[in-house]
Amino acid sequence: MANNSLKKNITLVIGSGAIKCAASIGMWQTLVEENIEVDMIVGCSAGSVYGAGIAMGMSVNEIKMWSERTWTTEIMQDYLMNLKASRDGKLKFSEASGLVDDSILNARIKMILEDRTFNDLKKKFIVAATDMSNGEKVVISEGKLFDAVRASIALPLIFPPWQINGKLYVDGAASDPLPIDTAIQNGAGIIIAMGFSIDYKKKMKSLTAVQEQMTAIYINNILKASYAFNNLAHHSEIFAIVPEFNEPLSMFDVDKIPGIIEQGAAATRKQIPHIKRLLSSMD
Amino acid sequence: MEIRDNLTNNLVVIKITGDVDALTAPEITGHIRKHIEKGNVNLITDFTEVLYTSSAGLRMLLTAVKETRVRNGDMRLVNVQPDVSKVLSLTGFNNILKIFPDVDSAIKSYE
Repeated sequence: MANNSLKKNITLVIGSGAIKCAASIGMWQTLVEENIEVDMIVGCSAGSVYGAGIAMGMSVNEIKMWSERTWTTEIMQDYLMNLKASRDGKLKFSEASGLVDDSILNARIKMILEDRTFNDLKKKFIVAATDMSNGEKVVISEGKLFDAVRASIALPLIFPPWQINGKLYVDGAASDPLPIDTAIQNGAGIIIAMGFSIDYKKKMKSLTAVQEQMTAIYINNILKASYAFNNLAHHSEIFAIVPEFNEPLSMFDVDKIPGIIEQGAAATRKQIPHIKRLLSSMD
Repeated sequence: MEIRDNLTNNLVVIKITGDVDALTAPEITGHIRKHIEKGNVNLITDFTEVLYTSSAGLRMLLTAVKETRVRNGDMRLVNVQPDVSKVLSLTGFNNILKIFPDVDSAIKSYE
C-alpha cells in the first residue's frame, strides 16, 4: 500500500543514558550498512555527544575510541573531596556549582569538537538541554557545538551547569530524556529513537544511593510519559530502538562498550525489516 | 495482515494476524469503526498473532479504545505477545488498556 502522505525525512533521536548511549554507535553502524539515509539528528545529554559525532561524519571506530577515552573515572576529579566538603559545610554551593572539577571532561569533549559550530556539520543536528532557572527544555541548533553538548551533559550536582549567553543550562534529561518532540517540531518524518531507562538499585546504604534511586524513578517516569505523548502526537512512525542489557551498567564501564555497541546494533537489526517495509511503501 | 471476526457470547472478537503499523493501522481502525457504527461497542481484539506494533499501531489502539469508551463500551486486548507487551509497557499504555491472557477471560470481564 503506497503511503504518499508520509515524508521520509528520517531523524535519529538519541536520548540520555550515559555510557548506554554508546549503543547508538551500533545503531548508526547498522543504518549505514543497510543504506538507510538519515537527514537529521537530535541528541540529549550523553546522546548529544554521540549525535555530534554522527553529525560530524566521524567513523564508527572514531566515535568508539572517543567514547572509550572519555568515560573514565578521571572526569570525576575532586568529586569525593567536594562531596565531603559540602557535607561538612566547607564548600558553598550555588546554582553554578558542581561537585566535579570539569576541566578534564571539558578537555576530552573539546578534543573532538574543537571550535566547530553547527554550520560545520554534515547533517542537521539539534541538542536539547534544560534551562536551570525554570526547568524548560531548550533547543540549541546554532553556535558552538561544544557549548551545546557541554550544556546538555551537565549532570545536576555533579558537573557544573554550563553558561551560554548569560543563562545556565543543565542536563537535557531533566526536562526530557528522549526529546522526540524536538524532532517532530523540526519537521521529522520517520523517527528512529533510542532511549534508555536508568537501572534501579536493589540496595541503598547511603543518602547518595537513595538520591540516585529517586532520580532514576523521576527520570524513568518522565521518559515513559514523554514517549507516550510523542507517540500519539506524531503523524508518522516512531521506531523505538531498545537495546537489552543483561546487567546494570555504571557510567565508567568502558570495557563494556563493545558489548553495548553490539546490543545497539542487535536492537536496530530487529527494526530494520519494519523500517524498510515502510520506506519501500513510500517509493 | 489479516483481520477475522468471531461472534462469541454476543461479543465481537477481532483477531488480527500480522504487524500493526503505519501501513496496516488505517485498515484496522476502519474495521473497528464499522463495528462501532453498527453499535458493537464492547469489543475484544485478539493479539495472539500480532508480533509487532509501532507508534502508528499504538495510536490506532488508543483511538479505538476512546471511540468505544465514549459510547460506554470498551476495547480489550487478549494474549499480547512479549515484544508488543514491551512497547505497551514502555509507553504506559498498559495502564490505560485492559489486557487479558485469553479470549474467555476477556469475555467474562464484560459480564
